[in-house]
Amino acid sequence: MSPLKRTGLATALAAGLAVAGAAHADIKVGFIGALATDTGQSTLRGAQIAIDELNEAGGVLGGQKIVLVTADTGQDVTEGIKAYEYLAETEEVDFIISGCIDDVSLGWLPRMVEYQIPTLDTWTSNIGIIDKLVEDYESYKPYFMNVAADEALATLYVDFGKDILAGKMGWKKTVIVQEDTAFGNAINGLVTQLLAPEAGIEVLDTIVYDVATVDFSPIFNRAVDSGADFIYLISSVNSQVISSQYVKLQVPLAMTGVNVAALGQEYWEDTGGAGGGISTLSPVPSVGFALDPVSKAFAEKYVARYGNERPKFPHFNGFNAYHGIKQAFAAAEVAGGFNNTSWVTAMENQDVVLMKDGEVWLRYGFWKPGEIEERTQRTYPHNIHFDISPPYDDGAPSMVVIQWYEDGTNAVVYPEKYATGEFKVPSWVPSK
Amino acid sequence: MTQILIQGLLLSGLYALIAIGFTMIFSVGRVLNLAYGAYLMLGGYTYFWVAQTMHMPKPIGIAAAIGIGALAGVAMHRLIVRPLHSDPVAVEISTLILAVIIQAGIVLVFNDAPKVLHPIVDGVWRVGGATVTFNILTATVASWVILFALYHFVRKTHVGRAISAVSMDIKGAALSGVNPDRINMITWAISGALGAIAGVFFASYTQLSPSMWVSPLIIAVAVVIVGGIGSIIGTLIVAHIIGFMEIISTTLIAAELRGVFTMLLIIVVLVLLPRGLFGRGEL
Amino acid sequence: MTSTINWRHLLLWAVFLGGLALMPQFVTRGTLRTFIFANYLAIFAMSWDVLSGRTGYVSFGHPFLIGIGAYTSAILSYRFHVPVGWSIPIAVATTMIGGTLFFLPALRIRGSYFALVTLAFMELMYQLVQVIRPDLTGGTRGISGVQTLLRGAVNNYYLSLGLMGVIAILLWSMMRTRLGTALSAIGMNEEAVEGSGLNTTKLKLFAFMVGAAVAGIGGAFYVHYLGSIAPRALFDVNFLFTIIVAALLGGASTIIGPMLGAFFLTFLLEYLRPLLPGAERYFIYGLIALLLYMYEPRGLYELFHRGRARIFGGRA
Repeated sequence: MSPLKRTGLATALAAGLAVAGAAHADIKVGFIGALATDTGQSTLRGAQIAIDELNEAGGVLGGQKIVLVTADTGQDVTEGIKAYEYLAETEEVDFIISGCIDDVSLGWLPRMVEYQIPTLDTWTSNIGIIDKLVEDYESYKPYFMNVAADEALATLYVDFGKDILAGKMGWKKTVIVQEDTAFGNAINGLVTQLLAPEAGIEVLDTIVYDVATVDFSPIFNRAVDSGADFIYLISSVNSQVISSQYVKLQVPLAMTGVNVAALGQEYWEDTGGAGGGISTLSPVPSVGFALDPVSKAFAEKYVARYGNERPKFPHFNGFNAYHGIKQAFAAAEVAGGFNNTSWVTAMENQDVVLMKDGEVWLRYGFWKPGEIEERTQRTYPHNIHFDISPPYDDGAPSMVVIQWYEDGTNAVVYPEKYATGEFKVPSWVPSK
Repeated sequence: MTQILIQGLLLSGLYALIAIGFTMIFSVGRVLNLAYGAYLMLGGYTYFWVAQTMHMPKPIGIAAAIGIGALAGVAMHRLIVRPLHSDPVAVEISTLILAVIIQAGIVLVFNDAPKVLHPIVDGVWRVGGATVTFNILTATVASWVILFALYHFVRKTHVGRAISAVSMDIKGAALSGVNPDRINMITWAISGALGAIAGVFFASYTQLSPSMWVSPLIIAVAVVIVGGIGSIIGTLIVAHIIGFMEIISTTLIAAELRGVFTMLLIIVVLVLLPRGLFGRGEL
Repeated sequence: MTSTINWRHLLLWAVFLGGLALMPQFVTRGTLRTFIFANYLAIFAMSWDVLSGRTGYVSFGHPFLIGIGAYTSAILSYRFHVPVGWSIPIAVATTMIGGTLFFLPALRIRGSYFALVTLAFMELMYQLVQVIRPDLTGGTRGISGVQTLLRGAVNNYYLSLGLMGVIAILLWSMMRTRLGTALSAIGMNEEAVEGSGLNTTKLKLFAFMVGAAVAGIGGAFYVHYLGSIAPRALFDVNFLFTIIVAALLGGASTIIGPMLGAFFLTFLLEYLRPLLPGAERYFIYGLIALLLYMYEPRGLYELFHRGRARIFGGRA
């Protein structure tokens, strides 16, 4: 209850400041996302901290103060459209920062095209949105996404399969267990295509299951009976159910893959500890990720300010919102404001490289229109400039693989450059 | 084959427990309580809060869940069903609104993030190629015990017989000295308690989330429709039909069509046999 | 209920719609956007009322029909580049076919059972959209970038107002005929209507077809207004809840009632936004809806009537 109340209070205070400082034409930033979710709060608080820092440093664009207004989507697509309209037409914001999930972002996207308000997405990784920029750059160009698109994560996963699963563990056969969603289908298609030729791992069977499945024991039985060496899970909606049943059933096969529930620090608390052994791909900076000094300072500030409320530690999109707001305003300083195409050009040229121990650690920059990524041989206009080939010196990897151990700790296990721990098989799985 | 048999029995037991409280209200109060799924949600979250957040012993958590469920049942009867004079359509609509309110309330108090319950009983049992958790086994055994106890309560006790009488004929029951209003309230309390305990088990199978009330409601609706305004035995049989159908379609046909088959069954049965497979029985 | 249409009714309609037509002169564009949602919700609520409010066959699956209309037009125009001038009429026709699916169970069952079977239709559709041909439907993510008919709040406001106005007047005229009276009579006592020699099956089929057609029109134009579609936004208990509550809160079996209800609910939710940004909003919104419904099941329409009777003494 309290985080919501406090946000309300913050909004009220912000509104008060807006009245007090009405002499300056203030800059308004709109937040769109679900306020009752960890995801939404991560983006909102990341943005709030960045804005407070900018205001404390004397304001932006010639001393103007930034005001943050919020619009809740309640994770509902139609409410998301209304929220975007509210920000655009009632609040008349200059810039929008979003912590929305895929279908909500896709819902308001036509509104962004109509209003042409610069918008930065910090959570959704839907390649479909980037594809729209490829097709129709002029209409979609105010849109930026500083999470690596989901298509790029499959490539990294295949590398993980080659180096760790096949290389180190000696696993050659897998069974794919996939949640029946558009995301699941897309990832499954990409991975199945690449796994055998690139990593030498044969896909024996694919089990697609309904999102509302209550009992997973028949599915796990089928997986075990297939004779595979490990289960490759793709689950984005109800991933906690399948992972906790996996742990409770003590399925005698290792399971790795995509498991969206395990991305936040609250995972352990929410599963009551019934989630050990699970590994998943995660956007960066993930849980267990070693941080560069700038991101670390942000995380410390976050914990000092919000450490008693959920989420106690920012999810990856909290970092993206923090760095993203800073960048959007840096671009605005160059372009002299938000409502012109020069902001888009300035944002495209933004490039923040965060170093750790003398190495490129994270990079907040964007792929330019027409710029081709070497490995996938395609363009990713306005998507974060990721790097999917070792040694990852041109940007952060699109994703890392993280694992939750049975004692509740977690670590990055792949790629090696970022690894803070080792990939382990759950204790109940018999070794081959 | 053994796997299907074992898993079918386990899932069906849970489904029977989910459906029984809903059937009772339909049978005795003659209304559909669309906020029934909310009992499961309240029960599950209460247990989570007591046992997992406050770290109290599990039996206290279960008892608290049952208490909250019964209380919610009585409150619904006093505040919604009675003022609306048990008008079926009005009750359906108000309980639907109520379910949406309770969902928002849960988001307010517990946040939107799904939560997983600890197993109520730890451990697994491997039998005939199937893996069975003690948790699921406990849920099924508890479900059988509860249904058995309920059956005897309805047959053998004074209050139980009164409930049965009201379910068959309100006026007749009233003439023979039963107070239908009081019996109705008791039934709502029992239904709430059953829903809450089913919620604890259901959540220990799956997860807690603010929208978790929809799928058990659909299971309950399916059981009631396919079985007809049910007796306890009828509920048990139909729960097994639906449970086995689900396991068979998951194991042998296509796991992604799990829900589709249940919906098709509802529609086909309602269109062809509007009174359900067993017609109207006594509770 | 009088069956004649006199000049006073026409005057009232003209004042009501004329007043709404002047709105863009007085309110901000943001408020106008809220009006647009209210107008579409009013169309859905009127369509529900024709099918359910009048005949007493309460449908819990109305999003099923709206969804068919919306998805058909969205898929045709987005995936197959069919011009909107064709895709919308095809969508309406498809929705009417969907309406006959509702009609089949209605031949044999009514009351709670009918409500449940329509609910099952909605759930079935929700699952099928994701499973069958996700390359067409877009699966769980839906479709984004569907062609929009017009741009700008003012244009879209007039489009939605025009649609709502035309539908409202047509339905209103229809309900003033003997046909409308017969439909309402089915809601009160179906056996008696049958006894008086009328073919109730035909009457019901007619009501279902009209209800489905309006839902189809509403759904198709709605998706071309939103520009995107997703299964979670359509085949959803919350959407169903809003439609039914709008119709009932305003006053079932009237034309103005569902419109009043739709405006009340939409603006209630929107005006709560600055005060309560988070989930509290839905909590309060639901509570107000429940209390109003419990206190006056016949809706705001009835409250207005009573209020007027108290002031002017007697009913107009």
